Amino acid sequence: MSKKLNVKIKAIGLLDLLAFKKLVPNRKKKFEEAPATEIRKTPPMNELAAKLHPKHQKFTITDVVELTSSMKQFELSSDTAAYFRAGQYVSVKLDINGHKVTRPYSIMSSPKAALSGKYMLGVKKADDGFVTEYIFDNWKEGTVIETSGPEGNFYYEDIRDAKTIIGIAGGCGITPFFSMAQAIRDGIEDFNLCLLYGCKTLNDIALRKELDVIAQTDSRVKVVYVLSDEKKEGYEHGFITADVIKKYAGDEPYSIFMCGPQVMYDFISKEIAKLGLEKKYVRRELYGQINNVEKYEGFPKDKVGKKYKLTIHMGQNTTITEALSTESILVAVERAKIKAPSLCRTGECGCCRSRLIAGDVFIVEDTDGRRMADKKFGYVHICSSFPLSDLEIEIPVE
Amino acid sequence: MGEYIFNREYDVIVIGAGNGGLTAGAICAKNGLRTLILEQHNLPGGVATSFVRGRFEFEPSLHEISDFGPVDNAGAVRNLLENTLELGVEWMRVPEAYRLIIPNEKGGRLDVCMPFGVDAYIDKIESEDPGCRPYVEKFIALCKEVVDAFAYMAASKGNVDKKYMQANFGNFLRTASYSLQSIFDAIKVPYKSQKIISAYWCYLGLDVNKLNFPTYAAMFYKYLSKGAYIPRYRSHGFTVALDKKIRDFGGTIEYKTKVVNILVENNQVIGVKTEYGEYIKTSNIIANTNAHNVYGKLVNKADVPEMAVKSCNSRDIGPSVLVAYLGLNKSAFELGIHEYSYFIYSKPTTKEIYKGFCSFEDPVGQATVCLNNAIPDCSPPGTSILYLTTLYHGDMWKDVTEQDYVTTKNKFAKAMIKEFEKVVGVSVTPYIEEIEVASPVTLARYTDAYNGSIYGYEITNWDSVIPRLLMIKDEEFIKGLKFSGGFAFRCHGYASSLLSGETAALLTVKDIKAAKQQ
Repeated sequence: MSKKLNVKIKAIGLLDLLAFKKLVPNRKKKFEEAPATEIRKTPPMNELAAKLHPKHQKFTITDVVELTSSMKQFELSSDTAAYFRAGQYVSVKLDINGHKVTRPYSIMSSPKAALSGKYMLGVKKADDGFVTEYIFDNWKEGTVIETSGPEGNFYYEDIRDAKTIIGIAGGCGITPFFSMAQAIRDGIEDFNLCLLYGCKTLNDIALRKELDVIAQTDSRVKVVYVLSDEKKEGYEHGFITADVIKKYAGDEPYSIFMCGPQVMYDFISKEIAKLGLEKKYVRRELYGQINNVEKYEGFPKDKVGKKYKLTIHMGQNTTITEALSTESILVAVERAKIKAPSLCRTGECGCCRSRLIAGDVFIVEDTDGRRMADKKFGYVHICSSFPLSDLEIEIPVE
Repeated sequence: MGEYIFNREYDVIVIGAGNGGLTAGAICAKNGLRTLILEQHNLPGGVATSFVRGRFEFEPSLHEISDFGPVDNAGAVRNLLENTLELGVEWMRVPEAYRLIIPNEKGGRLDVCMPFGVDAYIDKIESEDPGCRPYVEKFIALCKEVVDAFAYMAASKGNVDKKYMQANFGNFLRTASYSLQSIFDAIKVPYKSQKIISAYWCYLGLDVNKLNFPTYAAMFYKYLSKGAYIPRYRSHGFTVALDKKIRDFGGTIEYKTKVVNILVENNQVIGVKTEYGEYIKTSNIIANTNAHNVYGKLVNKADVPEMAVKSCNSRDIGPSVLVAYLGLNKSAFELGIHEYSYFIYSKPTTKEIYKGFCSFEDPVGQATVCLNNAIPDCSPPGTSILYLTTLYHGDMWKDVTEQDYVTTKNKFAKAMIKEFEKVVGVSVTPYIEEIEVASPVTLARYTDAYNGSIYGYEITNWDSVIPRLLMIKDEEFIKGLKFSGGFAFRCHGYASSLLSGETAALLTVKDIKAAKQQ
């Protein structure tokens, strides 16, 4: 201020100074006069948060159905199952011969079923899948399993998305869309879902009957099967191209949602580029961990097949183990039979955020979901970081 | 002590790595105390963090830090973070104080953009409300005296010389137990000027009739005289720097480690128990969580002094928030969003808006920030980040079920976005590329905040920062158990929480020194 004001405030009440002196005794009196009733331990918001976002859920498998020759549907039952948004996943926590591993699987059932304690998961047997093989061999009626709470952001959001969603599904990628179709049918979601479901042959289509029934009874759901290896009347033949999308999308604005294997994304991305859509209208579910990092641009060729020393600090413990350049740090930790935090396994959710004390890693740009300051301060998401040297890392306890 | 087996011992254990926990831990470690910070989440900062959606990294909670100032006019927070702790973080200056819009004000729409700087602020308010100058100058001079008085009180560390206070801070003493509205009335600040000056009230979460004057005055004057700052890389940018500093000073931080029990013997802290069943020995705890959690859950019932329970029951927990975070695929300029900070009050009085915070109706007040107007490259070229915040008391959401949770929060978010578009005269909805809506439940989920509260206890006249500071020493109901953060003695907000950690740490250092001398 340019000039110093000499303010003298007139008394507001007669006893202002006394009021000041009384501030402390007055506050003490307020305390003394309050009831000594018990403090509520869990107020309503913490209670609702615990219901919607449990850290762990336990289920018993109550039904197993073979959907195709390589895909099974498991019914999970419990007294309570956290409510979720159609399209979300749970991370399944497994103990395979002492190796504590996780896998994210989309919940394929309607959110409505969660209210009666049920989830359905669809698992496709991978060619060299150590985990899916274990699941196929061991998950039977009566098996007790543990999962995370519902996670992920692959769901319809009316403020953001077009009213019509073109769902592009490949193989096991049908599961989140099956949940969405049921959510529409059950009155939980309200949008148009036009599903383009790519399979090799007619026999590879999972849930055909169920999808057709929903499409017949609810005009908002439409299903188009696209067979790549087989020509059949009434089915699209070939791959899901820009032309196929245009043919079924209609004239109204639409958003594209994709869920399928990495190879599908590589192909479809080029096709979608031809449609000239804004980025906000194209969303894709994460495709799980990278199993062929050496094929990504920028991965140093001379590091393929290299083995490094990995020093892990967790809580009060330090463990030294080996890590392969072509396997994520998370996989190396799981191989060493150490339980580490993980959910999405694609670098996005940040659950496995760890402090890299020494060493270099390779991260595929697409899977680098780190915060800017974390990059600066040397933090990594171990599920999407690959060792390029000996490493020393601090991982939070799980 | 026989019943617990302790494998390790620390001079001090800080529970919670929120703003007040991090500064407490840093100051303790810097002073050579064996320091352990235990945090239930996997990140530092509590609400002072960030999150990524698509190509956007969002700021969850911070609008602007007060009491910061530029290098050559450093406030207490800059002094703590950059001079005492030498974080070396990049800070960005917020361009203007705020744009305030009250569409249905008496006599028509009020729409002003106020600058920082005491002189500039007074000139602007005079042009908006001619003739107000002498009254506003008087009001601001009074605010300055309040700031000086607080500075004296803080420096005296609980040993206030009453005669000195009377001689130098008479006005402060006279106004200490009054509300903001009483002071407006007493010095006859014109109506329109009152509305403009009180724009920041929602940062403290209580309407002007109940909000303690000196608490508001201190914040208001610090914003005017020192401007406001934000970290370049969201709040995570400085909380992760604090984490590193604590380690550099020899302190330890353990994430994903929740304290489930504070152990007490003969009314003295003796240690903690973690969720993993580990017992850790200490005689000093700084709880960076609220007293409701500590006395209602963490300390065994038999060990909680009755007055501690009563103190909790005497106070009201402040509001929680609903925030809509938008990643937009147009630049702020293209959208016509030219200010950093918007206060939009859709009801004319703060009392009515506060009533809205205590209801389950569509939002009637919002504080909205366009981050790009302070950090132009905070999002990719041709995009922008906008976040709209309103307040709700957690209890107002008590009947929300799991099934209608998402529709509820989205309904309120949409209403807030629509109001912003209407009042500011811009369109944002078609450009939403990413959206996330945080609610009281989100706060409870990530920070374990009591009923999702983002604020501390309400800052009424009887429980304002003044009696809280004067009673620091009386409030250690259990020996060795101190508090930091928004629920503690400096009241809430980033600046207060950060500074409260420093004070709690210095008091702990002093106690430990005294104990060693005995």
